[in-house]
Amino acid sequence: MTNTTPVLQLQGITKRFPGVVANDRVTFDVGAGEIHAVVGENGAGKSTLMKIVTGLYPPDEGRIVFKGRPVAFRSPGQAIAAGIGIVHQHFMLVDAFTVAENVILGAEPARLGVIDPKTSVRQVSELCDRFGLKVDPSARVEDISVGEQQRVEILKVLYRGAEVIILDEPTAVLVPQEVEELFEHLMALKGQGKTVIFISHKLDEVLRVADVITVLRQGRVVGTVPAAEVTRERLAEMMVGRPVLFDLKRGPAAPGGVVLSVEGLTSVNGGRAVLDDLSLEVRAGEIYGLAGVEGNGQTELAEAVMGLRAVTAGRVTLLGEDVTNLSTGEVRRRRVAYIPEDRHRRGLVLPMTVWENVILGVHRSPEFSRGGRLLFRSILSSTEEAVRRFDVRLASVLAPAQTLSGGNQQKLILAREFRGDPGFILASQPTRGLDIGATEFVRQELLNARDRGAAVLLISADLEEVLSISDRIGVIYNGHIQAEFGRDEADPRTLGAYMTGARTARREGGSAAS
Amino acid sequence: MLSAEMLASAIRLAVPVIITAVGAIYSERSGVINIGLEGMMIAGCFTGAAVAFYAGPYAGILAAMTAGALFALIHAVASVHFRVDQIVSGVAINILAYGVVRFSSLSIFKMATTTPHVDCLPKVTIPGLAAVPWLEPLVSKVSPLIFLAFLLIPFTAWVMNRTVFGLRLRSVGEHPLAAETLGVNVYLMKYCGVLISGALAGLSGAYLSIEHTQMYVEGMTQGLGFIALAAMIFGNWMPLGAMWAGLLFGFAQALSLRVVTEAIPYQFIKMVPYILTIVVLAGFVRRSRAPAAVGVPYERGEAA
Amino acid sequence: MTETRTETREETQKETRQTPVRRPRGPRRKYALLDLAAPVLAVLFAMAVASVALLVIGKNPLAVYGTMFAFSFGRLDSVAAILYKATPLIFSGLAVAVGFRAKLFNIGVEGQYLIGAFCASWVGFAVKGLPAAVHLPLVVLAGALGGALWALVPIWLKVKRGVHEVISTIMLNHTAFLLLHYLIADVFMDKTQVIVGGAGSPRVRMPLMEPTALMPKLHGLADLIGVELPSHSSLNWMLVFGILLAAGLWYLVWRTPFGVELRAVGHSPDAAEAAGINPSAVYFKTFLMSGAIAGLVGLSDLIGHFGYLDIDFPRGYGFTGIAVALVARNNSLGIILAALLFGFLSRGGLGIQVLEKVPMETYVILQGLIILTIVVFWEVIRRYVRARQKREEASADAQC
Repeated sequence: MTNTTPVLQLQGITKRFPGVVANDRVTFDVGAGEIHAVVGENGAGKSTLMKIVTGLYPPDEGRIVFKGRPVAFRSPGQAIAAGIGIVHQHFMLVDAFTVAENVILGAEPARLGVIDPKTSVRQVSELCDRFGLKVDPSARVEDISVGEQQRVEILKVLYRGAEVIILDEPTAVLVPQEVEELFEHLMALKGQGKTVIFISHKLDEVLRVADVITVLRQGRVVGTVPAAEVTRERLAEMMVGRPVLFDLKRGPAAPGGVVLSVEGLTSVNGGRAVLDDLSLEVRAGEIYGLAGVEGNGQTELAEAVMGLRAVTAGRVTLLGEDVTNLSTGEVRRRRVAYIPEDRHRRGLVLPMTVWENVILGVHRSPEFSRGGRLLFRSILSSTEEAVRRFDVRLASVLAPAQTLSGGNQQKLILAREFRGDPGFILASQPTRGLDIGATEFVRQELLNARDRGAAVLLISADLEEVLSISDRIGVIYNGHIQAEFGRDEADPRTLGAYMTGARTARREGGSAAS
Repeated sequence: MLSAEMLASAIRLAVPVIITAVGAIYSERSGVINIGLEGMMIAGCFTGAAVAFYAGPYAGILAAMTAGALFALIHAVASVHFRVDQIVSGVAINILAYGVVRFSSLSIFKMATTTPHVDCLPKVTIPGLAAVPWLEPLVSKVSPLIFLAFLLIPFTAWVMNRTVFGLRLRSVGEHPLAAETLGVNVYLMKYCGVLISGALAGLSGAYLSIEHTQMYVEGMTQGLGFIALAAMIFGNWMPLGAMWAGLLFGFAQALSLRVVTEAIPYQFIKMVPYILTIVVLAGFVRRSRAPAAVGVPYERGEAA
Repeated sequence: MTETRTETREETQKETRQTPVRRPRGPRRKYALLDLAAPVLAVLFAMAVASVALLVIGKNPLAVYGTMFAFSFGRLDSVAAILYKATPLIFSGLAVAVGFRAKLFNIGVEGQYLIGAFCASWVGFAVKGLPAAVHLPLVVLAGALGGALWALVPIWLKVKRGVHEVISTIMLNHTAFLLLHYLIADVFMDKTQVIVGGAGSPRVRMPLMEPTALMPKLHGLADLIGVELPSHSSLNWMLVFGILLAAGLWYLVWRTPFGVELRAVGHSPDAAEAAGINPSAVYFKTFLMSGAIAGLVGLSDLIGHFGYLDIDFPRGYGFTGIAVALVARNNSLGIILAALLFGFLSRGGLGIQVLEKVPMETYVILQGLIILTIVVFWEVIRRYVRARQKREEASADAQC
């Protein structure tokens, strides 16, 4: 039951960045005490809009009316002081500090500049009790779980007396059970009179918990509708501008011999086993999707296979050849392609040009260099062709890679990695942060590679993605494969149970149940 | 060997390292690497002696701290405001300080490499303890700055852990974006960290020229600014650790000065602090825990 | 729907320009003019600040600069002197620059060139009876090896132990000063010196090097192009060697596979590693190369002028090299020009010291100032260029 007076009104908000209009005359109202969802695909402008509302950027045009009065926040501090708080998608927490220190930072309870630690702990505990958010105020943030970290973010805004709480893609890092807990928290907040704005692109969740939904597309508001009056399909259509079902073409399943075999892999990080007796197999012509909450060893598995991390026990075998602990160069020499999860850090050398990035790793091959000399004609024509084939939109192959958009950067990585017709592909979070078009492109390319007979290991935190293109699915938890399923056997419920450790593999003889 | 005199000598030699290292902590905890500490110390050395010559030791010390802070300001503007590479900026400061000091020395005293003798601060003697014979060298006729240096340690620890300023400073060095979203003024904190490190480096320099040798001589810092950085790293970016590291260097120095044998040429004795620094860094860098965002220039809203 | 998508993609493919295959000229040809602006602006700004210092000591800046220019360019011996002074700076700038490209800060050039000079000197006087054609290259090689040797410890420590090379190289600089003092004064001191007339004391120096170890001067070459160098000038073939080395390094960085690795590791060791490059190997090779070039820095003075190594061997080339590399933004041609600039400042500084009674230290201040202003300007310009390029790419993307 929504109030008639909107607590927050956005009127004609416009924000431009070099070359793109992130928000274009965005206008909608948020009623007091409601749960209002803002949906749109990646790049629709949701994050930018929220950064404006919370004072990180000023809008180029338009105004914000909060509790009946126009406001112009020039800093996040002002927005918080007024009563608008945000829980970011990427947590803004200082790992080395305790929960309490993170909560009080910037609004410390102090006398003459001196903080009393007991007071801060007490105040945070009281908040926890009042809103039913369980977390230990004296624990260090780097030691607590992702779900608990999210609660700390919520506590931060509550501590400052926020009345409007914005959550930016809160369920991206949560498993199904934790999502339930979050929704309970949101209901509790609503019960305490708070207004919640919830940004997401996950339509099912939005429909479950929101009262009102605003759809953004390419920076503009497509519409604002009560949740009860709209369907998932209609929302998707509003989001993308056309009825969208990923229409991916996949060939018949025809798995060949085992290409990648991982047996009993163990690796440690300062005393803690991040990979714990992990075993799996990927065959030619199949996609093995690895599902799991981030932080359970996926990154480390990818690094171990690619030779970027030392393995203390176990083996990695490629086509029968033991490649354990070989250097990355040597692994790649065996026709291995790698799409790293962090494309800015591991995928591309951003300041270098497009062509330099395309030949990176194969720059010493006879095709591109001879007698210590680079063969530019060959390099440039090869690059042009790769760019064409993978639909990378750019002005010039001589431009630095950092000038490309996220989607084009990912396509560039694909162009480089798939150029040599790899026999094994390790794709880690390949569609993260990409818009619908690029996402579809990447998934189709993975399927095409599979149809051509490549073995694909797909690591993704997006369960929907794993379910949609994998032939077989494995669940990783605590560095170990807990369960494996065929494409048709997998259901989100069961997967979620294994992903959170509610169910685990029976450890007899050390291999995962299959 | 382990006499009180030896200890007193070790402490006297450790003090400049300790003060500068503690200063470095303020800067690095705010996320700014300060390679220019050597230059700031040089500035403090000279300015301290020059002003002390005309206006007495107290004025000299204040002037030295100001000089160090001024050079730190240049470093802060270049690396915080303009986001220039912090190492490059620091190296430039060293070169600049060297030149400015030489120039000033020539202009004021007509000598490029030394200044005349200056008075030091009145020496302190702790009455009760001075009566104890084996404590005597440690507590009688010592420079008050030594006590100040050791007080700086718990003071800094208290500031870092118990004050609003300390919490915000550390947050800026660990996760500046998080701090910004909570209303902390990231640039201001970094400026503060760098300026404090400059002032303390200046103080350290003043100690060298006013208290230790009672005159300025070119090159008297002899790389202490860098040794202090190593001490800070060795001390895991914490004041108490920096103190122990500083004492270690002081002790090694004191020891090497007393070892006078025909067998080892004096040049090799003088190499000890430098080699020791390298050994220490090589052996202990692994377990260190630097501030997460140290050395990374911060741009407002860059993580968009 | 599927049809709509395919159609769009084909259309796009036709639209994408068939870019003609051509040699890349360097990443930012369009902004080349801006690239020049920074050093020019920086030098002007530094001169302005130095003017303030001059005014403070009662000199007229314009008169001082006028004298500086006239002294430096008006006389042939000045021009020769500038070239001579620039020679070690070319090597020093190149040594620092090659490290910078891999994000390695070789602050140790100062110590490396002294060790290199020592090794060269030793081979020069200890090895006798070799013809010049063999001896001279050996001496040069010894210099390079000495420098590389002194660079070995810091890079090993960095790669194996994570020790930041700035601190370790500076510590080794101080160590090198002391070691050299010991070697020159206590071990290899030339006791065969004859004191003339009973006055004075022997020079603290190593024995004289063999004549076969000395670098020929450029007078012969200059005659060929009709220039008569003053007889007291020590301008020698190291200058030519330096220019060739600069060209060679440019080729290495931009035209070879190793150059790709070097730059990739400098920009992003993580991405380079994930692509199959071994960053540690690149760091090693680069730093040793830097050390080897550093070892050559002192040779122009040693085998082109003095013929022996003494306790007062010129210092400071290492730090000036840093300034040169920064002003030139690690670019080979720029390094040659920047070396000439600093050579000019040094020569001009001498001139104004003698003629206008202005202390030499202004030159050092200028150095520090120039570094600072240069990097600030670079940063500002770089951000501007990046924003412009992003706009261009975004509009290319949006057209589709």
